[in-house]
Amino acid sequence: MRHQLAAIPLAILILLATVVAGCNTPGGDPAIKNWRLCVNGTVGKVLTMEDIRALPSVTGHGYAVSTTGARFGPYICRGVDLRDIVALAGGIRPGQQIWVSAPDGYLWVFDNDQLEGRGFVTFNVNLTEIPSPPLRIILMYEQNGTPLSYDNGGPARIAIISEEPGVVTEGSAWVKWVDRIEIHD
Amino acid sequence: MGRQDRDTRLIIVIPVAFLAVALFLSGCIDQTSSPSSLKVIAAGSLLSPFAQAEQEFEAEHPGVDVQIEGHGSIQVIRQVTDLRRTADVIAVADESLVPDLMYRPMEGTNQNYTDWYLPFATNEMIIAYTDKSRYHKEITPENWYQILSRPDVRVGFSNPMLDAAGYRSLMVVQLAEEEYGDSLLFEQIIADHFPSTIIVSKRGTTTTITLPEIMRPSDEHVVIRDGSIYLLSLLEAGGIDYAIEYKSVAEGMSLQYITLPGSINLGSEEYADHYRNVTVVLGFPRFSTIGSERTGRPIVYAMTIPANAPHPELAQEFIDWVANETTKGRLGWPPSLKDENAL
Repeated sequence: MRHQLAAIPLAILILLATVVAGCNTPGGDPAIKNWRLCVNGTVGKVLTMEDIRALPSVTGHGYAVSTTGARFGPYICRGVDLRDIVALAGGIRPGQQIWVSAPDGYLWVFDNDQLEGRGFVTFNVNLTEIPSPPLRIILMYEQNGTPLSYDNGGPARIAIISEEPGVVTEGSAWVKWVDRIEIHD
Repeated sequence: MGRQDRDTRLIIVIPVAFLAVALFLSGCIDQTSSPSSLKVIAAGSLLSPFAQAEQEFEAEHPGVDVQIEGHGSIQVIRQVTDLRRTADVIAVADESLVPDLMYRPMEGTNQNYTDWYLPFATNEMIIAYTDKSRYHKEITPENWYQILSRPDVRVGFSNPMLDAAGYRSLMVVQLAEEEYGDSLLFEQIIADHFPSTIIVSKRGTTTTITLPEIMRPSDEHVVIRDGSIYLLSLLEAGGIDYAIEYKSVAEGMSLQYITLPGSINLGSEEYADHYRNVTVVLGFPRFSTIGSERTGRPIVYAMTIPANAPHPELAQEFIDWVANETTKGRLGWPPSLKDENAL
């Protein structure tokens, strides 16, 4: 009986510690469950993570560098091509821009060229500039096979990916904690 | 010890140990803020001098681990305010950012992020070049703007959206227009090389430069990179001929440079009113906590200690140490201000 009693606090603590450590399943993570993405263009939509995961996914190599030369990655990034999300908002016309923002007050703007993967500065792993291979902008929700953590910008952030590894892109465009995507004239 | 006592102890010790390990792994216990660690978040142009400061301060303070992290100046402050990270020292390349962004209460408290700062250094804008630069044997402090206007010369500066040196570069060229009485200078060196319109409007003595959302040049005359390190690596490789940069950064990298008159270089308090005649309006508000307008003012570096800094006394020692070293005129360090009184 005494051993059974001893098991109760132990079980409670294991449960508590597991939750605190973030080891619960992604579907049950309140941050992911409560996350919403507002998309505004000619059409306005509010999407859940379930909606985003239901869209066709793309996977590629992502590697970012800060303005002062700190590298982040390399990562295997999985998410949705930004063009597919823009299409849900009614698409984009030539000359329009995509404004991507987050609740921390950060905003970054992409143009049509960048949406097609052009116009980015790219480096090799030694930060020497290299000609840009084909790139894609995605809304990433998985990094290295696991749901994107808050510290890494989750539940969803922008990533610029390529099919080949070792392509480093400027990190200022990798907006963390994305919750709004708008089409602007 | 009886078996019953042992069991009772195990009932207590095992769960407590397990919880401690789990909390540690979860990051709920700050693993980086031991009493001997000092987190310093600094502007990019301070990283080279602060790397020296790290080594020397640690040597003078055995057991202290100085951890330096670099960002653009606004991002430096945002780490503490918007992103709620803890830091011991904040060091920025524009003193006005501290009151603008930190003289406000921390979330859930009545205490401001800080109520003071120490202006400790200044800097000036210069034109950096190398022996690979086109016309490097011709360029002088008198003709630099004519050389930079030549169509076959490639001029680089940092992205004004990301780096104070970027919008300060635009101010330098606009101020030069007035200094040299050449009303086409800004167009020839910068504006004509962007597909999106850069609007330059003048009202009285004030000039406003309004930038497009995307700063992507349409030809090779102008090159923009996110930060100085990429710009100067291009300069050294011959990818650009001239870079508009901070003097201390050029000196730290042993680059040749042309100095500019005090009325242009943003380094002289004497011309503060004159600098205010130029405003750059950025293409979009990258940060909701600060507007898009940047008005010309003398370059002044500042340090502060956030109110929630884990090690404020050690932070104060570090600030005093850096301020003192700055007065020694060390190579690659921004020069000290004459008046170093905290505001």
